[in-house]
Amino acid sequence: MRSLSLIGLFSPAFVFASSEGVKPSATDLFDIAGVPISNSILTTWIIAALIIIGVRLAVGTPKLIPGKGQAVVEGMAQGLRDALEPIVGKQMIGKTFPLLCGFFVFILLMNWSGLLPGVGTIKFQTADHGWQDAIRPANSDLNTTFALSVLSFVAWTYFVLRYAGFKVLVFDLFGNKADKKEVGMLMWVLLVPIFFAVGGIEVVSIAFRLISLSFRLFGNVFGGENLIHALGGIAPYVAPALAGLLEVLVGVIQAFVFTLLSAVYIGLICNHEGGHDDEHAH
Amino acid sequence: MIIAEITGSLPATVGCFAAAIGVGLIGAKAVESVGRNPDASGKILVQSILGMALAEAVAFYAIFLAK
Repeated sequence: MRSLSLIGLFSPAFVFASSEGVKPSATDLFDIAGVPISNSILTTWIIAALIIIGVRLAVGTPKLIPGKGQAVVEGMAQGLRDALEPIVGKQMIGKTFPLLCGFFVFILLMNWSGLLPGVGTIKFQTADHGWQDAIRPANSDLNTTFALSVLSFVAWTYFVLRYAGFKVLVFDLFGNKADKKEVGMLMWVLLVPIFFAVGGIEVVSIAFRLISLSFRLFGNVFGGENLIHALGGIAPYVAPALAGLLEVLVGVIQAFVFTLLSAVYIGLICNHEGGHDDEHAH
Repeated sequence: MIIAEITGSLPATVGCFAAAIGVGLIGAKAVESVGRNPDASGKILVQSILGMALAEAVAFYAIFLAK
């Protein structure tokens, strides 16, 4: 307590702004069989249980002529499917849609759960760290977003290898895509090492997707939480509410971007009909 | 004599500055293309949101990954 008051003496900003900001790592609450459970894990479980129970209660037993709850859920699922079908391709949409819809709903509701009253305000006191948050949104923990991006990467590998095949993947990455009739034999031979080098760069950019997906989601959610926390210290009750509205929009956009990027990565290799007009994402 | 001093993280500054310019460019081009072809507004919205998220991600790399 004495060290805390000394800090208060030396930093007048302590009076105006709230303290050191939101912690980027989640604090452990308790252990289950030696595995530490952090507050973000607990929030994930609670919200996931609510999602499952909510959808089950809304749909009931699915009937051919839908009831109200089932119609709502079906409408949302159909809307998402229509948005993703031109990207992934008709033959893949049936197989990838459960994963992509799961990503979207999970990330969306986890992002929005960070705006409920109680997140960031319910604190408990620990012996060595002082006051700690009891509830943290799931995606403000880098572990959760990294797990999601690992899941997306593993799913990408599975879908590409199973449905497009290893040869198509290697040709798409490293293969010489020049037309022999257009450029001539000599030029075609000279282009082979260039395409090979491009393939090497592609492999690096594919491996970087693990980091980019996770950090994009983590940065947006954690930054939003930090913004609300900091505004709460400066102009309480009004400015955090406005930042919360911004966070609603950011939550939707980040969920959509994560899902869309996962679909784009799969669709780049697997989508053969139509033209892909999507940009080459890194 | 020190006139000004940089406090804070320089890599994060440059990263966020570049990301903001990138997002602004995407927005400018999106608005211009909607002006040219207002019927394509929905498709342009989806593309521009995707582009903005990709450009903004670089800011997060700069903030959290720079030493």
